[in-house]
Amino acid sequence: MSATKQHPFYKMLTVLVLVFWTVAVLYPLIWTLLGALKDNQQFMLGKPWALPKFPLLWSNFTYVWETYGFGSYFLNSTIVTGASTLISLLLAATSAYILARFAFKGSGALYNLYLSAMMIPMILGLIPLFFLLNDLHLINKLFGLIVVYTASALPFGIFVLVGFFKTLPKELEEAASIDGAGYSRTFFTVMLPLAKSGLVSVGIMNALNIWNEYIMGTVFINDPSQYTLPVGIAIMQSEMQYRTEWGPLFAGLLLSMIPVIIIYIVFQRQIAEGVTAGAVK
Amino acid sequence: MSQRAKRKFFIAAFIIPTLVFFCVFTLYPIFRGIYISFYDWSGSAKNMDFIGLDNFRELLKDPIIWTAIKNDYFLVVGKVIGILLLATLFAIAITRLNIRGSSFYRVIFFIPNIISVVVIGVLWRYVYNPNMGFINSFLTLFKGEQVQTAWLGQENTAMWSLLWPSIWAGIGFYMILLIAAILSIPSELYEAADLDGASQGRQFWSVTVPLIWEQMKVSILHIVMTTLNGSFIIVWIMTEGGPDNSTQVMGSYLYQMGFRQYHMGYAAAIGVLILILSFITTVVLQRLLRRETIELA
Amino acid sequence: MLKKGLMVCAVLLLALTAACGGGNSGNNGNKPTNAPEPTTDNSSTTEPAAPAGLKGNFEIQYFVGGYGDAWWKEVIEEFQKANPDLKIKQSAGPEINDQMKPRWIQGNPPDVVYIDGKGSNERQMIDDGQLLDLTDFLASATNPDGDKVSDILISQPTAYDGGKNFTLPLVFGSWGIFYDKALFKEKGWAVPTDWASFLAVSEQIKGAGTSPLIHTGVYPYYINGGLIDSAMVAANGGDGSILTKQAALEAGSFSSDAVKTALNQIVELRDKGFIDKGAVSLNHTDSQSQWLQHKAAFIPNGLWLENEMKKDIPAGFDFGFIPSVAQAAGANSIVIPYTNTIAIAKDAKNPDAAKAFLQFVFTKQHAVRWAELTGAIMNVKADLDSSSAGSVVKDAMKFFNSDKTTVAPVAVLNADVEKAKQDATLALTVGKIQPEEWMKRLEDAAAKARK
Repeated sequence: MSATKQHPFYKMLTVLVLVFWTVAVLYPLIWTLLGALKDNQQFMLGKPWALPKFPLLWSNFTYVWETYGFGSYFLNSTIVTGASTLISLLLAATSAYILARFAFKGSGALYNLYLSAMMIPMILGLIPLFFLLNDLHLINKLFGLIVVYTASALPFGIFVLVGFFKTLPKELEEAASIDGAGYSRTFFTVMLPLAKSGLVSVGIMNALNIWNEYIMGTVFINDPSQYTLPVGIAIMQSEMQYRTEWGPLFAGLLLSMIPVIIIYIVFQRQIAEGVTAGAVK
Repeated sequence: MSQRAKRKFFIAAFIIPTLVFFCVFTLYPIFRGIYISFYDWSGSAKNMDFIGLDNFRELLKDPIIWTAIKNDYFLVVGKVIGILLLATLFAIAITRLNIRGSSFYRVIFFIPNIISVVVIGVLWRYVYNPNMGFINSFLTLFKGEQVQTAWLGQENTAMWSLLWPSIWAGIGFYMILLIAAILSIPSELYEAADLDGASQGRQFWSVTVPLIWEQMKVSILHIVMTTLNGSFIIVWIMTEGGPDNSTQVMGSYLYQMGFRQYHMGYAAAIGVLILILSFITTVVLQRLLRRETIELA
Repeated sequence: MLKKGLMVCAVLLLALTAACGGGNSGNNGNKPTNAPEPTTDNSSTTEPAAPAGLKGNFEIQYFVGGYGDAWWKEVIEEFQKANPDLKIKQSAGPEINDQMKPRWIQGNPPDVVYIDGKGSNERQMIDDGQLLDLTDFLASATNPDGDKVSDILISQPTAYDGGKNFTLPLVFGSWGIFYDKALFKEKGWAVPTDWASFLAVSEQIKGAGTSPLIHTGVYPYYINGGLIDSAMVAANGGDGSILTKQAALEAGSFSSDAVKTALNQIVELRDKGFIDKGAVSLNHTDSQSQWLQHKAAFIPNGLWLENEMKKDIPAGFDFGFIPSVAQAAGANSIVIPYTNTIAIAKDAKNPDAAKAFLQFVFTKQHAVRWAELTGAIMNVKADLDSSSAGSVVKDAMKFFNSDKTTVAPVAVLNADVEKAKQDATLALTVGKIQPEEWMKRLEDAAAKARK
């Protein structure tokens, strides 16, 4: 890419803005770390800039880790996110393929129905969903959350994947059918692999949303052993406020972020590509 | 099985499971929610009284809902402008300006997007805390006297204080989207513009914007929808709609009415209002944003 | 493309709504559903319960806030010892009200519930038919010491719907203004006894660079309970019926002259700059920490305060308590009491164990332990002087027993009016509204709730 004549002043200005935003993103996180190493006295000094005094209170981290089931929060979140993402991908991909390639009576309306569902505020369905899950004996079960999250991830998946399947050349299917492959074999062995980047894109987006979902988790799960990470964090912060445990609270916030940030940094290239592959066509 | 029947069977097998799932766990709850909005129901009582449109009549007379709508659109407009402006600037800077370490910025700016909104809300509430937060002590350095602004407690600063973390948390995703859009613009177009002697600013308006307009449009619509449907979580965690309902948005007011004040029917009516406003806003925006999109073959 | 799609969808949505509305009317999700967990204790409900040797499952829900959970654990352990065959489950925590809400809606509640904390509302539970009518039970219930429970209560149960009792007050406490005795002694500030002396010392405190008054702005019911309610009673000539009338939503009860006088006192504090500027965005623990750090001299709060903050109390800090400051010189102090109640679920699966637990709990020794473990007062007339209860509780007890003190009745507002009152009060303290608007908002809210 050719960098063209640009005014050095503007470039300076732009760099300044970039540096400013870097600080704006990172400083709150660093500040959380500083806070996580302080005791209450230091919090109440009214000097939030100050570095924590020695000895650093690493015990805040062990305290939250022992008091709250972070291990199980992570495990539950991972199970729920993994399962809902995969199931929703399968359900979205199958329907999207039909909607993109096999016109039938009402297929346009169906597509629009899914599309418009992206605008539905899920909070409106929260209470009925609660009763529904209750009747199905799925309250307080991770499987209940998986079901709900899967459904909520469908419209976006269908929207992106329909677009994706439409761009794939028709000849491929024709070639496959000449080889005698049935419809479903064509789909699973030819089309699905070709749509991989779209699938990854949808998967990452949905996984991010599901990983961070809070409201449904808090309403459908009341058993501490089944908490997902956002639910556990919300409960933790409210309990800690009653006990004025600021240091441990900051340590807990940090603990919840670190593994995700590490995974992100390791896979950032794939994630950035994944996010955009489906959206830019 | 004939080819025709096979085809029909295949379509059904691929369409029906998804549709059933969608109907049971998305459509049914929504329609059930709409149904509840015609009832007077506490949310925990055994009996529900049908009251027709009374909840909606009540809603029109409720001054808080108007504040909430105003705040929702404040966030919508603020986020669209703030996020789009910054995300576009960053995307251009990272792709077109040959700045050192550009991939570093790209990686860093996306980080807030992977943090749970619960954590963001709690964190920023402490950032704004009048005594323990760093914003006030930062300002104290410049003013020389102790700054004790209660950012989330004053009506003239509270909504702005909620807007900032919303922008902070949202930028990365749209930036990545726009980066990808800019990278897919063929570089010959810029070379041609260079030959014509077009300045960087002119290239931006005549080459970049038209070619990434589709992505900008998608970004705007996406920001609008997610804000109207989801912004209440950060509001609920940071202010619970206070002080004196001045930061209430429709979603948080729904939660307040349904789960705190035991008017589930009324809460459902607020939900229906969110649904209607989301539809109207999206349709209007579609119309406003219609502009010749340049298709790249 | 999308626009046309939207129209199609809108039509579809409408059609489906109509269909669902008709099709589902018989299937209300709120009908009592089968309890998901099969219960095995049906036998115990049919047998007449012996005071000891209860069987089956028994579940207690209690909110854990400022009082902690030490007392609960102790009492429940004793109850378990007395009934070794009973399987007791404790559902507790600061979010327990929200967490258990689904179970109540399902008709699968715990047996005993302690009603306290955010997300709980006694009046609503009664309106929704969730609580067992305890009228007959309370008329005759005795505790293991042989005392009749209703004889030893400080505050009698609230009568609903023409004399029925659904709840039993477990905690009795008082709102009031707290200060640090040591700080006041050191600075030579006089402890206020009436409105004039409160204003005078506040002026002095402000002059010394300290905020006179901080409050829990995010939860404005503290300043309502600790300052405004007592001011209203004081302005009403010490007649506490003003609060009962408000709770009964009587027209005009929120705009009487007494209310106006009380609100104008708040306005006076506000306009003189006595209210801490940051308070509006602080929650309870944040504002209490500020106060402990001497950033402010007075804080309206409840008797649980010392226990709630015990970890963060600086050395030398000496809790002082005044029930009210708004009264005229020479007039009685006003105590605004609060109670937190305990109740039995209407759908309790083991009501015998639930009743036995209530009888078991309401004894004088448990009241003493409550005072020692929570620093607050249980709703049982017990002699605390010889106990290790904190000085605040003992001070407060002295106020309750003094003839220079008027104890107002316990009055609980409807949830909507309560919310309106909190919002209006906060708006008043920051100067967004004036007393007229406060009164109008409350009258409107009461009128709406009356319907």
